[in-house]
Amino acid sequence: MADNGDRMFCHACGGVWLRDGQGLTCPHCESDFTEIIEIPPDTAPDPSHEDPSIPPHERTRPRPPLNPWADHNPWAHEEPDDFFGGGNGFRHRTYRSPDGRFTFSSTTFGTGFPERPAGPPRGVPGDPLMPMVRSLDTIFHGLADTYRNQGRRDPQQGDPWQNFHGQEDHDREREEAFGPGRRLYPRDANAPQPMAPPFGTLGDILELFRADFGNGAGGGPGGGVRVMTGPNPLAMLSTLLNFDRHGDAVYSQEELDRVISQLIDQNMNGTAPPPASQDAIHSLPKKKVDEEMLGSEGKAECSICMDPVEMGTEVTELPCKHWFHFNCIEMWLNQHNTCPHCRRPISSPQPEGTRENPVPVHDSSESPSSHRRRSNATPFPDYGGHSPWQGQHQSVSPSESDSHERRRSSGNNNSGGFTGWVRSHFGGGS
Amino acid sequence: MGSQKRIAKELAELTESPPEGITVRLADESNLYNWHVYMEGPENSPYHKGTFLVNLNLPTNYPFKPPTVSFGTKIYHPNVTNDEKGSMCLGMLRPDEWKPSSKIVAVLQFARQLLAEPMPDDAVEGRIAEQYRTDRKRYEEVAREWTRKHATGKKA
Repeated sequence: MADNGDRMFCHACGGVWLRDGQGLTCPHCESDFTEIIEIPPDTAPDPSHEDPSIPPHERTRPRPPLNPWADHNPWAHEEPDDFFGGGNGFRHRTYRSPDGRFTFSSTTFGTGFPERPAGPPRGVPGDPLMPMVRSLDTIFHGLADTYRNQGRRDPQQGDPWQNFHGQEDHDREREEAFGPGRRLYPRDANAPQPMAPPFGTLGDILELFRADFGNGAGGGPGGGVRVMTGPNPLAMLSTLLNFDRHGDAVYSQEELDRVISQLIDQNMNGTAPPPASQDAIHSLPKKKVDEEMLGSEGKAECSICMDPVEMGTEVTELPCKHWFHFNCIEMWLNQHNTCPHCRRPISSPQPEGTRENPVPVHDSSESPSSHRRRSNATPFPDYGGHSPWQGQHQSVSPSESDSHERRRSSGNNNSGGFTGWVRSHFGGGS
Repeated sequence: MGSQKRIAKELAELTESPPEGITVRLADESNLYNWHVYMEGPENSPYHKGTFLVNLNLPTNYPFKPPTVSFGTKIYHPNVTNDEKGSMCLGMLRPDEWKPSSKIVAVLQFARQLLAEPMPDDAVEGRIAEQYRTDRKRYEEVAREWTRKHATGKKA
């Protein structure tokens, strides 16, 4: 493996050691809460891991299919391969190690280059041996570009800039179409890249890979250039970088986190109730707190701000009879159109939905699996007699708490489905 | 902000009458939104005798958005991620589950309850959940070992 330079960091004791010597477990405290610190190997990788992605016939074929990952510039030479005007200038470069085992590309973005500059290549003052660690997302970026270009290029149209290279030692010319509207972000080649993924999402890449492998045959020169040939470049990449995840197309915990948080965000927007309309909010009845509303203990509080509410205070009452300060409930309703207490929608008043005779909401959404979840899990422990859902109504009828429970369960079930989806797609999350 | 008043109130309540096994304090006295919670492992659990640091972060629009709970102390548990984040997955904290009438004390008690009774069906650590289901004894051994190693002594 190409882990000659890899170091390990222990999150438990902060120790650092060489992976080669000590392995994955911290030699200081024996913790396994450790992290591989990726360092590009100084020496050539183990020949047994000879990159299989460069079949010999690939090297000699003068024109597409192209594999800019394996068949391009000598490592040590830096030159801008392509340069595109049209308002924004993108410069795409591919580095390749002399032995052909390493390739990576970088894309730089500049404004104010309406025309190709004349004269010798205006290379980015780059370090051709830019550390691999730093280039990781560049690599991903480049992969995404490559895949996206697929099927979009016109193979008949040669690279307009190809003569610019003036490079006789190129294995072949490269085509890179940086059309308008492509989702490229400004990149600073001299500083660490921001954490945000440079392309839309990692999911985009996953999608692209999936689509690509599904095709199998790919396109011939007539039907669009199949850029990626040979073995999965990500597999190659992961071999080089010692990432463990081959089965799923996620190659680091960070990427996985990113995917999951994105999915969670999307999921949240999908299941949370929508905001209430201003009309609905302002048409809610207001009333003064009376003795009955104070309950048996003779005192009550707004369960949103938790301020005590005195007799005679004007409050806003929802169709479900739960009441709050207007300012408090307004802020909630601006986000969700349900009672923050029992989750009944406020916009469709249900006359029969009194506290004594509640109407189960979303009853149909209860599925067998939610029963399963209910029985396995203990959704709510005993809060020492203070149910968090009680709020100002100190007595909750059994039927109402049952409907709480149902709502909860069905909600849980939805998200459980999502969790299951994540598990099935990304493994057990170990 | 209205949120500060409520948070201060909840903090006061929690400080005055802390629930069993739970101690709270502000991570930084000048910042109400960031709490350090010290949670004792429940007696009938492998986390017993451990004290776990739990970070409770409140959004500025609390209580309209839920707080987040994460373990600052490493813990071997199906519902806590085994990474530097130590995120805990609590159903009641999901935005579509959260209710402003939920109090922090309920969140914390729920979190502690989860130590006593993990919910493998909602696991974030699938491997630990699997072990919890199939080899409870081994799970408890490891959890106890981790508790001894990480949740006792100086780190508490």
